Amino acid sequence: MTEISGGAGARPGGSGQDDRRGPEAALARAFVRLADTLASDFDIVDFLQGLSADSVEILGAEAAGVMLTDGRGGLRLIASSDERMRLLELFELQGEQGPCLDAFSTGRAVQAGAADSRVRWPDFAPRASDSGFQMMCAVPLRVRTDVIGAMNLFRGTDAPFTADEMDIAQAMAEMAAIGLIQERALRERSLLTEQLQAALTSRVIIEQAKGMLAEYLQVTVDDAFQLLRNYARTRNRKLSDVARDVVDRKILSTALATRPGRES
Amino acid sequence: MRDDGRRARIMAAVIGQDAVAGAGELVKRLCRFAVDEMALSGCALVLMSGRESAGMLAGAGRHASTVSGLQMDLGEGPCLQAYASGVPVFLPDLAADGASRWPAFAAAALAVGVHAEFSLPLTTGPGGIGTLDLCRDRPGMLSEEHLADALVTADIARDAVLFQQYAPGDTGLAELLDTSGADRIVVYQATGMIAAQLDETMSNALARLRAAAFASGRPMHDIAQDVVARRVRFDD
Repeated sequence: MTEISGGAGARPGGSGQDDRRGPEAALARAFVRLADTLASDFDIVDFLQGLSADSVEILGAEAAGVMLTDGRGGLRLIASSDERMRLLELFELQGEQGPCLDAFSTGRAVQAGAADSRVRWPDFAPRASDSGFQMMCAVPLRVRTDVIGAMNLFRGTDAPFTADEMDIAQAMAEMAAIGLIQERALRERSLLTEQLQAALTSRVIIEQAKGMLAEYLQVTVDDAFQLLRNYARTRNRKLSDVARDVVDRKILSTALATRPGRES
Repeated sequence: MRDDGRRARIMAAVIGQDAVAGAGELVKRLCRFAVDEMALSGCALVLMSGRESAGMLAGAGRHASTVSGLQMDLGEGPCLQAYASGVPVFLPDLAADGASRWPAFAAAALAVGVHAEFSLPLTTGPGGIGTLDLCRDRPGMLSEEHLADALVTADIARDAVLFQQYAPGDTGLAELLDTSGADRIVVYQATGMIAAQLDETMSNALARLRAAAFASGRPMHDIAQDVVARRVRFDD
């Protein structure tokens, strides 16, 4: 990452290769950002806001917006490059009609100019035109056959996005989708790991607590387990929490031997 | 993720003609696959949640439970290191490389016929859930092909455990999880009793138990059984 963002211009007498300030440099920087989803402070809204802003800059669009699947077949608005786009996308979702929805449902890029769009999206296109957009394009956020969302790219003029621009838009959207899927998998695994580790650890602590009680109270380990369970149940606490307190000597063994009814 | 179809090939090999009942059966077959494919004397999937808690979830080969059992008894060894660091540990010749790093482990493993040990951490980003341990009864490094297979096998096993641990209906894995480390239960109970006898912390009590086992040359498990049966006390 440092080589691309920090190295450019820093080297004296750099050749043409070091001149990384053109459109290719912006694209390269955008791809680096899109790959950077595994940082500990990753934020999905910031990430997709960045994708919208980069797309506007690199593809000469006026506005961009990203929607993601809600997991139930619908889409949710996550990021927009400006307020006009945000309102339009909300309208698109409410009216269930527009380029983002088409790109999401078909898994393919779509593009339509002013006339074309009024045929395809009779409710949405006039609204977009009123907001100052003539050329409407959307690309799916897709990894192979898995479509997780779509991105709108709108222009104020009627100039269509070229085939190259569409390819770049699609590549950026795919890169974002890969990053998001990796991030989701990592987050899911981390959560599942924590749960498994907690379960394994409490098993050890419960056995240790059983042994400790069996010794302090001179009962069998099975009886000690019963006492632990009764104590946890009558106080509506988790068995593993009570066991931890016993092991840490925060609960005296005699407290567990006392019948709840006779407690003062 | 590009792996040249390795994951698909291993899955096909372990699933074979008949459907796999669940993740429990899958992890057993993965260990069996590793033993057959890589000519191992043992392969074990070991779950850990800290230095003092490890249990074999599934294994294959005659040395399956040897390596993790020895390390728990001795409190040192390659799979503890791999788990703690998240980096694989390769000991292609225990007689040569093991002695300097883990002398007690190397001596005990060689005594039961383990000559090479490879421990792959089951990592999940920042954390981990255990290791996949491969061992051989002769020295020698795993070939690159075998190593690549082993790493993918570890990934499949990790995901099978993680994503199926709470899956309703997958009773096979639930049973394995319940019984994994069952042979250590008596050690944990004895640790609690010793801690009470000596008015000590759990880790100090465990250290005392381990030292007693080492000094007497008996397995920790046996001494723990004596403690729980009240045949042995530590405050005498």
